[in-house]
Amino acid sequence: MPREIAQLVLNGLMAGTILAVPAIGFTAIYAVLRFPNFAIASHLTIGAFAGWLANVSLGLPAALAVGVAFAAAGVAGVVSDELILKPLRPAGALTTAIAAVALTLVLENVIRFVFGNDLRGYALPIRRDWQVAGLRIAPQQVQNFGLAVVAMAAVFLFLAFTRTGKAMRAVADNPTLASVKGIDTDRVARLTTFVAMGLAGVGGMLVGLDTSIDPLTGFRVILSVFAAAVVGGLGSIPGAVVGALTIGIGEELSLLVLAPAYRTVVGFAAIMFVLTLRPRGIFGERAY
Amino acid sequence: MAQRLSRRAFLELGAVSLAVAGVPAVARGQGGVIRLGTLTPLTGNGGNYGPSMLKAMQWVAGEINAAGGVRGRKIQLVSEDDQTNPEAGVRAARKLIDLDKVAAIMGTWASAVTTAVAPLCWESRTFLTTVSGSDTITLLPHQGYLVRTQPNTQLQGKKFAEFMAAQGSKRVAILAVQAPFALPTQKVVGEELKKHGSELVAAVVYDKDKTTYRSEIDQVLKDKPDMIYLNGYTADVTVVLKDLYKAGYTGAKIAQAYAVNQKLLSALPPEVTEGTWTIAPSPSIESSAYKRLAQALGNDDLDPYSCQTHDHISLVALAIAHAKGEATGTGIRDHVRKISQGGGARVDSAAEGLKLLAQGKEINFDGASGPCDFNEIGDILDTKFRYEQAEKGRFKLLKIG
Repeated sequence: MPREIAQLVLNGLMAGTILAVPAIGFTAIYAVLRFPNFAIASHLTIGAFAGWLANVSLGLPAALAVGVAFAAAGVAGVVSDELILKPLRPAGALTTAIAAVALTLVLENVIRFVFGNDLRGYALPIRRDWQVAGLRIAPQQVQNFGLAVVAMAAVFLFLAFTRTGKAMRAVADNPTLASVKGIDTDRVARLTTFVAMGLAGVGGMLVGLDTSIDPLTGFRVILSVFAAAVVGGLGSIPGAVVGALTIGIGEELSLLVLAPAYRTVVGFAAIMFVLTLRPRGIFGERAY
Repeated sequence: MAQRLSRRAFLELGAVSLAVAGVPAVARGQGGVIRLGTLTPLTGNGGNYGPSMLKAMQWVAGEINAAGGVRGRKIQLVSEDDQTNPEAGVRAARKLIDLDKVAAIMGTWASAVTTAVAPLCWESRTFLTTVSGSDTITLLPHQGYLVRTQPNTQLQGKKFAEFMAAQGSKRVAILAVQAPFALPTQKVVGEELKKHGSELVAAVVYDKDKTTYRSEIDQVLKDKPDMIYLNGYTADVTVVLKDLYKAGYTGAKIAQAYAVNQKLLSALPPEVTEGTWTIAPSPSIESSAYKRLAQALGNDDLDPYSCQTHDHISLVALAIAHAKGEATGTGIRDHVRKISQGGGARVDSAAEGLKLLAQGKEINFDGASGPCDFNEIGDILDTKFRYEQAEKGRFKLLKIG
């Protein structure tokens, strides 16, 4: 039994870390632009396909293809935001959120139009798991874990130590004051969208590395991403990480008592639980 | 100046409208084009099949129209996408029924979609033809407004169990996606295995939209199976196969051929899929209907669903012709078995059948998918199965029988 629990926690940790990457993106957009951008689902998919093209067509190794996924999803995010979502922002967060849902469906179908519905796998060897102290762990998972940690570390360093990162935090904290102080809030908004959607793209590729990709890749994980961000506290980046790990590990541990078919319930039960007892999420929103 | 409707004019108008409304549906169903609806999964998990299923029906409609239509009336197809999603399927079916007033809806694929759409059809007296396999579908109170060309779970489960036992498997596990067929299949496979001296040692039903199934696989492997039946859809079975390989499982694997298909084999490294058996209801590949359709669609390896939808539209058109042109769900229901089975002349093309019916002859349609004979609740009576095995990323045909 203890070994079984350890294995479940390990599996949950791996799944949660990958979930954390797009969850950071989701929560960062919420912090700066004040609306839940569900279009992150299609940007996960865009990143997954961009990474796939770089990996399979150009022959780049996964670690470099992740960079392509970041850039492609980031650029797509900025373009679609400028054209579709930005003009709607004055109409309120709800309108923008609904438009984001519509946008994600449009983008998903654009991908379907270009690539078709078929499943695609990355050009990676599949290796048998390592056995460490009676626990199974996949080399690919370790690599994904590493990539996710590097991406998250880069975001934290960027926010903590660069001028632009500080400007982003300032806008998130108080947009009016930031604007009075001479921060170009439009530029910060674009940059946030770029980084956040780029992270979504990385997340999509990490999901795809372990599974396979198709136009629904992003849609499959968006609810878990949303759950992670809400549980951690919408707008809090450490919260998104903790939320993702909570959801990831919680879903796995639920298997001890629940049939696997009900696993998805855990994320939503966690949302209800957290919103009832601590509506601001585990970390609250002003924590960086 | 407002013109008032005189009492006389009002009465006349009223009488005419009543008379029109009183004309039986039969009469309104005659003349003009015959509208038939297609509802296939163009997107979603069934998106690999829907487009080809639709093409098959469009081709048959074109053939029928080119040969002069059904008793002189052209067929007009109205096509919708069910997105492999019951909610989207219901919306599309409502549009087909309420707006387009189709006589039949053809081609629903996922059992969940068919189950959701079927009540709309029988309540509106629209005929429904489906390729879904879940047992519960033909047990619905559909009053005859439904037939399916796909063998049900009972028949398929039995064939799987027989085959697994014949391979010498003693300890079988099932990893199934959460779908209407998951539990009925589990039950029938368990019962049939026992008859052959084997045993179902583990069965896990998982959620389809997960990125990893490591923990589910751990649960199943605890019981040390020597054969695992992967009863899911392509997207999730891809992940399960990868995770099984990573977990070091070396025993036998078997899956539905719609899940483990050539596209899946191409997307995964061959060592992951090596040796996986697949079983599928087989189209009637020797029939000339199959050969003609294969040529028309430019594909000599047709999936069973495209063959089945080829037969759906053929059956519907022939039933309408047999009903003396009554293009209604009820007309199709009352006549479909009169052209699909019995002692009439065997035909395997709709155009040829229509010609014979016009000459007043009786026919028995055998299609690209098989004999198309139905029992009273709409299940097919017989079909062939195709057994294949993955070898170095390609399928090797073992047998059809």
